[in-house]
Amino acid sequence: MTRATLRAKRWTRLEYERLIDLGAFRSGDQVELLGGNLMVCEPQGTPHMTGIRMAEEVLRRVFATGWEVRTQAPVALDDESEPEPDVVVAPGSFRDYRHAHPARPVLLVEVAEASLESDREHKGSVYARAQVPEYWIINLVDNVLEVYRDPIVDSTAPFGWRYGSISRLGAGDFVGPMAAGQVRVAVADLLPSQLP
Amino acid sequence: MTTSSLRTKHWSRLEYERLVDLGAFRPGERIELLGGALLVREPQGGPYATAVGLVEDALREAFGAGWTVRGQMPIALDDDSEPEPDIAVVPGRRRDYTRGHPAHPVLLVEVADSSLELDRTEKASLYARAGVADYWIVNLVDNILEVYRDPRADPHAPHGWRYGSTTTLRIGEVVAPLALPDRTIPVADLLL
Repeated sequence: MTRATLRAKRWTRLEYERLIDLGAFRSGDQVELLGGNLMVCEPQGTPHMTGIRMAEEVLRRVFATGWEVRTQAPVALDDESEPEPDVVVAPGSFRDYRHAHPARPVLLVEVAEASLESDREHKGSVYARAQVPEYWIINLVDNVLEVYRDPIVDSTAPFGWRYGSISRLGAGDFVGPMAAGQVRVAVADLLPSQLP
Repeated sequence: MTTSSLRTKHWSRLEYERLVDLGAFRPGERIELLGGALLVREPQGGPYATAVGLVEDALREAFGAGWTVRGQMPIALDDDSEPEPDIAVVPGRRRDYTRGHPAHPVLLVEVADSSLELDRTEKASLYARAGVADYWIVNLVDNILEVYRDPRADPHAPHGWRYGSTTTLRIGEVVAPLALPDRTIPVADLLL
């Protein structure tokens, strides 16, 4: 008499990877595993794609040899999460990830338009829980870069964690990725609205 | 800026049946597809298991030849639902459903203790939407039988349908399945 007897099915990451291997998803159904929940991403428009390409160009330049920069690729984040962030920066090279997706990214980037709220709330909480040290949202709604750092416990967050430090940077600002030493990047180079 | 671009995966019944065939689920995991959502049933206790057995026995005796009484087996309810009601009564013989789960049960029964609210709202709405004419809840909380009939559209119900008629029966009363109105069953036979 204590609790509901029916709950949403939660998938582990290994189950999810097995589903993919079994061919369970129709091509075109772009899915991600977030905290055990299987989520479907809606198709995105051209500003989103442009934002991804801009971030990729910048981050490949900043994170050259010794780093792997990939776009919309799976991250083996934790036991029940395998998201596909828009841009992933992980140590090493693609050769290191032949047999398993990167598990310890140093920077994740999402380009957000319609997804802004879920990128802030849900993904931010999942990424913070997995101790991803730095998370950027290229916010196409307000044309700013949101920089999230310092994962901390917060029982009110969807997955029990959130980022303690949040900065909103505009087109005239610069950002230094934590893992890139002293390098500074112009935020304008990450915002599609700043393209000539 | 209209909708969130992230939503829970909605499964069709065919996709779900494919997952089952592929062996995607853990052994012993009791899964149901309800309105596109994959749900897991928690294990249930002894009173529940006993009540399911009692209902199965009573319905098998009442329906007899020409009907199959299935316990906790899948029903191909609609395009995005494949529940496993505690008891389902379907026309024909067991072998008729070798190649596909039954789609048109004449009676579904859920035995409810902690699941009562869910059985009354979510499941009732789904069963009503699928046109299931007769739905019973063996309510172990209040020790009564709830009989739901007359499915009708209702935009406020979880799945857009509900049952128009609800009857509560107690020990001492009898119930007759809609499909076989002359076969009466003492309610006492269905309760603990």
